[in-house]
Formats: sequence, structure tokens, C-alpha cells
Amino acid sequence: MNNIYKSFDRVTVLNGVNFHVKKGEVHALLGMNGAGKSTLMKILAGDLQPNEGTITIDGTDVNFPNPAAAKKAGIGLVVQEVDTALFPFLTVYENIVADDLVHAARHPFLSWKKQKQRAAQVLQQIGLSLPLDKRIHECTLHEKQLIVLAKVLFSSARYIILDEPTAALSEVETKRLFSIMKQLKNQGVSFIYISHKLKEVKEICDQVTILRDGSVVHQGDAAQLSIEEMIYHMVGRTQQRKERERRTYGEDILFEVKQLQIPKTNTMIDLQIRKGEIVGIAGLVGAGKTELAESLFAHTKTTGEWLIHGKRHTFSSPKEAIAAGMCFIPEERRKQGLFMSETTRTNLTVRLLSSLAKWQWISRKQEKERAQQLIDTLHIQPSSQQAIVKQLSGGNQQKIVIGKWLQTGGEVFIFDEPTKGIDVSAKAEVFAIIRSLAEQRKAVLYLTNEFQELLDIADTIYVMVDGQLVQRFTAEEATYEQLIYYSSGGGEENGTSTNNNAFNRKAISS
Amino acid sequence: MAQVQTTTLSTVKRSPLNFLYKHGTLLAILVVIAYFSITLDRFLTYENFSDILRSISIVTLVAIGITFSLIVDGFDLSVGSTVSLATIASAASLVLYRQEILVTLLVPLLLGIAVGLLNSLLIVKLKLPDLLATLATMYAINGVHLTYTKGFSIYNDMPLPDGGTAPGKFIPSFLFIGQGEVGGIPFSVLLMLFIVAASHFFLTYTKPGRLFYMTGENREAARLSGIPVNRYRTYAYVISGFFAALGGIVLASRIGTGQVSAGASFLMDGVAAAYIGFSVFGAGKPNVIGTLFGSILIGVLLNGLTMMNVPYYAQDIIKGAILVGALALSHLQKK
Repeated sequence: MNNIYKSFDRVTVLNGVNFHVKKGEVHALLGMNGAGKSTLMKILAGDLQPNEGTITIDGTDVNFPNPAAAKKAGIGLVVQEVDTALFPFLTVYENIVADDLVHAARHPFLSWKKQKQRAAQVLQQIGLSLPLDKRIHECTLHEKQLIVLAKVLFSSARYIILDEPTAALSEVETKRLFSIMKQLKNQGVSFIYISHKLKEVKEICDQVTILRDGSVVHQGDAAQLSIEEMIYHMVGRTQQRKERERRTYGEDILFEVKQLQIPKTNTMIDLQIRKGEIVGIAGLVGAGKTELAESLFAHTKTTGEWLIHGKRHTFSSPKEAIAAGMCFIPEERRKQGLFMSETTRTNLTVRLLSSLAKWQWISRKQEKERAQQLIDTLHIQPSSQQAIVKQLSGGNQQKIVIGKWLQTGGEVFIFDEPTKGIDVSAKAEVFAIIRSLAEQRKAVLYLTNEFQELLDIADTIYVMVDGQLVQRFTAEEATYEQLIYYSSGGGEENGTSTNNNAFNRKAISS
Repeated sequence: MAQVQTTTLSTVKRSPLNFLYKHGTLLAILVVIAYFSITLDRFLTYENFSDILRSISIVTLVAIGITFSLIVDGFDLSVGSTVSLATIASAASLVLYRQEILVTLLVPLLLGIAVGLLNSLLIVKLKLPDLLATLATMYAINGVHLTYTKGFSIYNDMPLPDGGTAPGKFIPSFLFIGQGEVGGIPFSVLLMLFIVAASHFFLTYTKPGRLFYMTGENREAARLSGIPVNRYRTYAYVISGFFAALGGIVLASRIGTGQVSAGASFLMDGVAAAYIGFSVFGAGKPNVIGTLFGSILIGVLLNGLTMMNVPYYAQDIIKGAILVGALALSHLQKK
């Protein structure tokens, strides 16, 4: 791909990107969120058209007006969400040959026997032994991923894009995927490997191209690039540490959880939050943050032991967690946090109804008063109680989600990606609310993949990888680079990094 | 930003389509009444209106039950069968077992609650899709009441298989429910108005009423707000069964016999009434007052059509068309 330019409206996303993949190599494409990786790959897959630039395969210029054309030219895409690429109630082989069926007009009578044979061949090629008649919805995630890979190979792809392929895989499964990739590589297949897990990039990739703000900032041999250097190129600058006031927080432990099970990754978490402390959890997408938050709130079925002010609890539903003083601001606020066609007032007072109702009869007057107090303290715009939540901006919606907990007397606040999709000023307001909660000596847990936010607000930061807390920092010692280093799997190898000793100064308290 | 939104809001409010959506049902009722009054001379009489109101009262009771299931984002297809079951149960208590008023009322109501519990077991506990689960119970319950009666209706002095006649009869206190009047107003209409008012106040002004709506609006958000959503969904199906049974009692009392499959037509009428109710006064969600207006519209329409000698099977075409119209209207508004 040469000189690719792409802009949406007036925002330039790709600014003259050159990207070359040789036959039979694994080429990593790295970059922070918004660097332009997805856009570049969408252009390659025929999903988007570049404003300028050419794509060349084996010396001939090609252009892809649609995804089918890219597929025909040998570009295969294994998406991150493999379920979107498969038909769950069809069998393995039917899924593999599905693309062929679409073009059935060419040969309307398909021989199932032949199709099965060909599907079996491809599966053999990647070394996956699965009954061909197994239905997709009975397969594990790893199997599904390999089936998508087989499907791509079946349509004779020679350049395969893998988007975060290991995000949901265990270590053993990752190893297996890598050995399959190596095999295919020897057969002349090329891979474009997109991942945040830099340690794996070093392990499997031959070449690295790093994008930042729509331009290539580094291109070279993967073996000669250390993880620290990769991070340096991705981030671009040493992040300025904002001078921030040193906050103090209490000594007493307000909230503690022991042996909390996270079902998806099947790991155990121990965590402590002191009075007035803001604990941050840093983790990439898929690290298990949301799963941790939902387990803490007993939204998912889980086991563990909760201690609030030293009092022991076990929760089996959010109702019980709330009764014990926990509050949850979920990541998907439209889906999980709001009643979208109800009014601001109704949304704000949902947790207060018990105190507003006498003999189950809601006092309108009191309800209006309480709602108005919340609207005033949170500066919700428009300030009308009767506004329908659907019509508010993302920031105001988020303030409502937070607001419904503020007067409940809850003491443990869990924020899951609270700044997702809200503008800068709303973000500042959300931060102010969180700080004031800490001032009131509440316990705050803040989970995010925006690491800079944690450096701005958290007192203690844990790094989460694959459902485990792998590293702990205090606010003073953490840096942006370190958070990226550990969350991308860098901490798993010891001694290779010069900084590592410094990183490991503080052991995990659990 | 906020100002832009308010201006767009007010322009929407002024558009003719929105006016139609908000007041279309009332308008339709007035138009239908006006049309029938002009074309039919016997339409605008006291007897006819009291007749319309009596038939509306049963539909409304059933439709309120459906409204509850719609509020929690569910659906109950089994109400028609429950009406039939309750009709037969009350008739059998009176005629076959010579029971007094208390048992006669209690048995069908308990059966209705049992149907509701069965539905919620299937939908809430076993997580079956509501439409399919209640489709199954609808058939099963219909089969139960037909099996019990062997397909025959229950009436006063009916012959029994052993050669004698039935020991009991429809007692006056039971017949009063469907046929009696208080101060010139049919008792069943008063009962309906009382239940409409009570349900309306319950849903609008009380804490559990609010939580019913929130459960239906966004189940996950409701759960994460500490609302016991499964309990509220169970309540909704139980209430639906209860009101269907109450409708069955009024029906048995009104016709004075236990007709088999008499409730079947109330499903469609009730569903149509509840969906028409979505749009009344622009509520945009299931609500009891709207449901009342919905069943008034259907009741007036069916009465007029019957007087115009339109056969009952042709009336089904019109009912279907009304339901489609109501659904389309509520769907358009959502967009």
C-alpha cells in the first residue's frame, strides 16, 4: 500500500501511509487508539476507499470498490469479534464453505460431499481436528477463531489480517495459534498482525510498522525493537506529568474483596480500597475490567467474599450489593445505566423511591425536590426535570447515571469507563464528582483503558492483564509508559528490560 | 445545545402527524360514534349505550391484564383461554357443585392466578420466549377446559350423564355482577371503572408501579439499579391471569351460562385495545387509561358493525386492520 491518504469530513485519519508486506511474513501493525490502524485495514479489505494512494499486489495495481473484490484478490480478514463472521446454527464445514455458497449462481448444484472434502482439507492445513458436523455454537471461542481462519484460507487468501487475535485466548491457545501461523507462513501466506500485546508481537512478528496520528513513525525488524522502543514510537512523546495535588486518604480499609472469581477468565482477584482512596484499574480492551466490575457488583454469577467496613458479605445479585452500600456506574450507559425514554427525574430518583414513598405512594413534591437538588449539584443541562434522557448529550446522561447513586448513602463507587463517549468539559465534571466522593471518604474504584485519566485521578493504580492484577503502582511512581508496558504483557518476562527492576519495586499487596 | 433541542422538540409537537398520534384515538372514537348515529337510528339510545358499555367492561378487564404484561416488556397470549376457563369454572361451581358466591368467585380467580404463575415459571424461570410460552399455555388451558366439560356448555337444569339434572343454578347474587345495575349504571361498568382507576393510580403514583415500568423499559439497567426484575415480571403475569379470570366471571354472569371457548375472541380485542392505548394522549407506552379508550373504540365499532348486519367473521378483518394501524402508529412514534 503506497501513499494512502484518507480523511473523514475535514479530519485527516491517514496521512500518506506506506505499508509493505512481503510474501510469507508476519507483519505487525501497531499504534494507539485512533492512530489509523483500523482505517488502513478497512481500506485494504475494501470496506473503505482511500482519497489517494494505490494498493499493489504482486506488482499489479489493484483497487477494491467493495469487500468482495478484496476477498477475490486474496485479502482475508479475521475480525476480532469472530461471532459476527459465523452462522452459529450451521455446521463447521457449512461455515467454511459459506462464501462459496453465496456465489452458487456459478454452479447451482453443489456437491456436499465435495464441499466437505475441501473443508476437511483446509482444517487439516491448519491442524485443527474437529468433527465437520459440529455446530458452531458448540465450539469454543478459540475453535471459532480457527474456523474463521480456515474460512479465509478456503477462499484462497494469501494476505490475512488478524485483528487482536489473542485478546480472548488463553496462553496455550495463543501458542497453538502461533504454531499454525508459522506453518502457514512457510506455505507462503502473509499475516498482518494487529495487537496491543507487545510481548506477543515480539514473539511472532518479523516486521513492525508503527502508526501514530495517521503517519508511519517506524518501520523495521521486529527482533531489533524492544518493547520500550515500541511504546516510545506509539506514544511519541514522553507524557507530561501534570502537577497534581497530593491527595491524602484514610488508613482504614473501607472495602475489601477476597478471592472474587471472574467467570470469563476464571481468575481470582483480591482488592482493597481505603477510606477516601481512588483506586484505578488500568487494562486494555479485553483485559477483564468490565468482568471484574460486574463480578464485584454480583451482576454476573460469581463467588467470593466482600468486606465493607470489616463486615463480611456474600452477594448473589446487584440488589444485595446495593443494600450493602455499593454503587455501580456501568460501561454501557445506554444499555445498562439509563431508562432512555423516561425523564431525567425518573432516572435520578430510581434508587430513592423507598425514602420518597409512604405506604408505597410516591410523594411528588419530595421527588421533585430531590431531583432538583441533584440536577443543580451536577449541572445537568437542560435543567428541566421533564427532559427525556434520550435527547440529552452523552455527558449529561453520564451525570444522571452517577447522580442516581449520590443520595443513596452508598459508600463504594465502581466506575467502569465513565468517560467513554463524553466531551472534555463533561469529563472534567465527572472527575470533579469523583474527587468530591473521595473527599467524602468514600471508596472509589475506577476502571479504564485511558491510562492518562488514571494518572490524573487515581491514588493507587493496578494493571490488569487477562483477568489478573499483575502490577501495583502508587500515583507518584506510575508513568504512562509503565502502564502500557505492563498492560501489554511486558511484565511477564523478567530481566530483559533495564527498567524492570524499577518497575518491580513494589510488589502486589495481595 | 440544549436550546437547539428544545426548538426541535416544539416543532415536532406542532406537526399534524404528532397531533394525530396524540389525539387520533379520541378523534376516531368521535368519528365512529358520529357516523353510526347518523346512519343507524337505533344506535344513539340509552339501551344500546349501556349494552356497549357492558361488553366493553369485559374487554377492558382482559386488556388491563395484557397492559401489565406489556409494561414489563412481556406478552400474554393465554388471556383468552383463561377467560374461557374462568367462565366454565364459575358456572361449574354454581351449577354442578351448588356453591355460594364466595367459592364461585374464588375458584376462577385462583385458577387465573395459577395460569399466571405457570406462565411466569416458563418465561421468567425457564427463560422461554414469552410469545411461544403463552401460545403453548393458551392451547393447553383451552384443552383443559374443553376436557373438563367434554365440549358441552354448562347451564341451569342441564341433564347429567347419570340421568338426573344438575343440582345447582346461577344464583341472583352472581348474576348481579354482569346484569345488575346501581343507580341506572350497569354494575360491571362500575367494576371496570373502579379497576381502571385503581390500576391507573397504582401504576402512576406508587413505587411498585414505577418499578413495573422500569423493569420493562430496560431490564438490565433495572437489575443494576437493584430492582428485583424477575419478581416484577412474575407479578405482571399473575396480574394478567387474575384480570382475565375476573373478565371470565363477568362474562359468565352476563350470559348466565358457562359457554365453552367463550373467551377466545377477547384475546384479539384485548391486545388491540392495549396497543391502541399506547398512543392515547401521546403516552408512547402501555397505559391503563389508553387501554380503556382503546376498548371503547373497539366496542363502539363492533356494536355499530353488528347493527349494520356485518357478520362476525367479517368483523375480524376490521379488528385485524385496527391492530395493524395501532402497531404502525406506535412504531412510527418510536422512530
